[in-house]
Amino acid sequence: MKKGFAILAIALLVIGTLAMTGCEKKPVGTIKIGGIWPLGDITGRQGSMAAQLAIEEINAAGGVMVDGGKKLLELVVVDDELKADKAAAAVEKLVTVDGVEVLVGGMASGAELGKIPAFKKYGLPVVSTGAASYTVENALGGDASWYFHLHPWDYNQGASYAEGWAAIQEKFPDIKIEKLFLAYEEGAFGKASWDATKVLFGGGGYVIDGAPFKSAALGGGDYASVLEAAKKFGPDLFLWAGYDADALPMLEQAKAMKFNPGVYLGAPPGWPADFGKSKLAENVMLYGMWAPSMNDTNVASKKFYDGFVAKFKEEPATYFAPLSYSAIYIVAEAISAAKTTEKAALISALAATSYDSPLGETISFSKSNVIPYQGIRRQKILQWQNGRQEVIWPFEAATESPVHPFPAW
Amino acid sequence: MNRNLLRALAFAAGALAVSLPAFAGAYPLQVARNVIMYMALALTWDMLLRSGQISFGIAGLFGLGAYATALGVLRAGMGDWLSLAFAPVFAGAAALLIGFLILRLRAMYFSIVTLALAEIFRIVIHNLHDFTGGPEGVVLDGVMLGGSAAALYWLTLGGLAVALGASWWFEKSKFHFALTAIRNNETAARSSGVDIFRWLLATFVITSAIQGLLGGIYVQSYGFATPDSVFDANFTLLPLAIALLGGIHSTIGPVFGAILLGLSSEWLKLRLPYGHLVVYGVIIVVVILFMPQGLYGLARKGLRRAEGRAE
Amino acid sequence: MATKRRTTILVVLGLAAAILVAIWKPTVLIYGVQQAGLYAAIAIPMGLVLGIVHIVNLAHGEFMMIAAYATYFACRATGMDPLIAVLPAAAVTAAFGWVVYKLTIRRALKAPELNQLILTFGLGIMFSQLVNLFFTSQTRKISLDYVSASVTIGETSFGVWQFVFVAVAAAMAYGLKLFLTRTTLGKAALAVGQNPKGAAIVGIDVDRTYGIVFAIAAALVGGMGALFLTRSAIFPAVGSPFTMKSFSLVAMAGIGNIPGILGSAILLGIAESLLRAFRATRGWADIVFFVLIIAVILGRTLKWRKS
Repeated sequence: MKKGFAILAIALLVIGTLAMTGCEKKPVGTIKIGGIWPLGDITGRQGSMAAQLAIEEINAAGGVMVDGGKKLLELVVVDDELKADKAAAAVEKLVTVDGVEVLVGGMASGAELGKIPAFKKYGLPVVSTGAASYTVENALGGDASWYFHLHPWDYNQGASYAEGWAAIQEKFPDIKIEKLFLAYEEGAFGKASWDATKVLFGGGGYVIDGAPFKSAALGGGDYASVLEAAKKFGPDLFLWAGYDADALPMLEQAKAMKFNPGVYLGAPPGWPADFGKSKLAENVMLYGMWAPSMNDTNVASKKFYDGFVAKFKEEPATYFAPLSYSAIYIVAEAISAAKTTEKAALISALAATSYDSPLGETISFSKSNVIPYQGIRRQKILQWQNGRQEVIWPFEAATESPVHPFPAW
Repeated sequence: MNRNLLRALAFAAGALAVSLPAFAGAYPLQVARNVIMYMALALTWDMLLRSGQISFGIAGLFGLGAYATALGVLRAGMGDWLSLAFAPVFAGAAALLIGFLILRLRAMYFSIVTLALAEIFRIVIHNLHDFTGGPEGVVLDGVMLGGSAAALYWLTLGGLAVALGASWWFEKSKFHFALTAIRNNETAARSSGVDIFRWLLATFVITSAIQGLLGGIYVQSYGFATPDSVFDANFTLLPLAIALLGGIHSTIGPVFGAILLGLSSEWLKLRLPYGHLVVYGVIIVVVILFMPQGLYGLARKGLRRAEGRAE
Repeated sequence: MATKRRTTILVVLGLAAAILVAIWKPTVLIYGVQQAGLYAAIAIPMGLVLGIVHIVNLAHGEFMMIAAYATYFACRATGMDPLIAVLPAAAVTAAFGWVVYKLTIRRALKAPELNQLILTFGLGIMFSQLVNLFFTSQTRKISLDYVSASVTIGETSFGVWQFVFVAVAAAMAYGLKLFLTRTTLGKAALAVGQNPKGAAIVGIDVDRTYGIVFAIAAALVGGMGALFLTRSAIFPAVGSPFTMKSFSLVAMAGIGNIPGILGSAILLGIAESLLRAFRATRGWADIVFFVLIIAVILGRTLKWRKS
């Protein structure tokens, strides 16, 4: 009896899932692009959706030109579940079963490291949208000429902040930053931020200090000791490198402890839903790559944003959406330029990329510390003003001027 | 007759497993590697379970072995094969030391202490930045055996062979009687002359060493180790689920369980890109509720019933 | 007699240490106790289930997460404060817990303990992944003014809102003690917890008692879910680390020792907070939790073996 139930239940499950995906359509004569993201995470979920949006836009405009005439693009997405072994299986599946000719995607460095042996085996062009850790670059090695890394490396980000703050202090003389405190989450992301900050700000006449905390995203969420250390240090700029789960609770705790730095700055990959609606959010600064406010000044950003909202009825919550969207356009433009998907020709076309991205800059590739093709190097400095993230620096993409100092509560 | 049939089936399955690279592509081989890795971990966990001791520390010993291999290569300049051999030695030695402390604990208290030890290993490696690479981990100079799909598959299969061999040996040797006696009635076992502590210690060291070896294989086949990836709680929880779904206290159970969970998770992922893990959870719940003895238990019951009818 | 004296000495020593810490670094004590309150308030319901139903509920944190999500959407839709939602959230989660018990856990009670463990593991995956599917992994938090309530003594200002968790944990521990010793239902539950077969013989409906205890625990952790939302952002995986923390605390206190959970939590909270206060030990704060658990469990077994 029980056994019968079990078999029935499993059979129903199987039929159910089959039925949901039973009517797959396989377009003929398309160029296949493989996409690997963590689909259970908002970054990868929206990244894959944005990539699909780009594919549809390109196909609606007639696809790409290759020697045989016009061809449409097809995106095949596989979940990496944030795991190295699953990510490796995803590469194998896309390359050997689906026969994709280009790979895009990537978010967490740990999953990216798992893909690298398979990447190396095939040498197909890869346009990577994630992985900030320098360990990924070391694993790739200097001869990884098929790897096009869009996301800035951790040290690139640190360098761009040093540059940004120098520029801001020069332009707005009332902003003076001498003492800098970094609260960093104790995992790989935070530790790398701390290492980069020590190196890049250490030399420039700044006094720096920092302390780790356990991010709420990983079961922590008590900021008292790190805020106490920060308050004691009395920084002009307080920076926290953590995750979106830390954003509001840390701010609330800082207020409770009457900790008022001149600049209160966060560097999470994304922000919580409705963060801007909180009273505490006003004039909080942030590091990021993209914000909806850029729609006002950047045509590509507006096109991406409107398309995304129209298609999916939700807002892009992190920069991984426009970044993945850009990755598809970069691939499409390179295929059109090379007029083929043949490896060597496509790689040289990718190397010559110059793409006006929705991220507010023209993306092109050049050598980084290790790999030959690094795309974006600069992050932006933004500020929450009236519930919106406004771009402060780089000035050419700026949408507002900074408000300083961060108001006392 | 029946036993001969089983033996023939097992031999056929083994031959199929070894010859898989001859006819399977890179993708099935990679999936098989993932399945095999968890299968072997589930087996080692089950071997200790046969004494009644429930370990939550698989990820800890797996991670220790992984770092032993990675740091053996990077800091001690070991060759690939030597570093693989170093992993089980290191994990086994660690297990020997902690075994003296913790193998007198029983039931939940043993479980929680193994879990805590796994966390301690992770935190220590996380914090010794200069030696272990800290949270960012370490990267090897590429993967073993030139990254060949077939060779890496055989390497992982080798890890499974060690686990399977040990499990079979446990079933056929004195270990079986000793561990079963300890599980069923410790006092009776002691009074009939079973040196409980020594049997437990031997089992704990052997299973831990194999878990360490698997960690070493993992590192050598992906070329990196980070605390988050090799101490992942999934390396503890999934083997438990696999062994239970397949049927505990047996060699064949975890094999079934790993194939069921491993293949269904991969298949579901391709069918349902968003939300496949929900169905994965449902499968675990349904199997536990309707097949409390696992797949193997169900199969055994079915076989017995079929035999009854035949007679 | 001897053990009583030893306990007294330990308590006095502990108090003396706490007073020393309080004089030397008062904030260590404040933050440690606040954190302890949160740990204990989440762990106590798990201790109740473990002590009476004898199930390690690996979906414990997910119950809290679901209650927090329900509260979040209710509050956003109606504009009410999560504090008002504590009781409704508790009631809804109790019903949910009761249904989950009837549909799944009850059916696995006769199976070996491990089946129950993996069953709740599967339930936990289901719950968190369902929430992830519908609401994505983006974090959510209701911004509240009173959580930044602050007290300034001399040079130091600190938040006081989190003391609410200490009060809740203490109320839970005391309330459960009254419930288990003073009420008929509670006494029955205690009897079932100690000896289910014996309890059945004297006419107690074991299944019903289990169901009620499970529902009570769900109610407590559900109410905590609403309260948790005041302090923390929520996301689908927010509950699972608390499951492990709770399990550790319950094991440290010893099965069936509910006030002991509060004591263990305070010890761990202060120890963590102490390590976090110094630059050299900051990174190691996590380890103290696990070292203390092992020390306490090993110490207790050694004591048993002597006596």
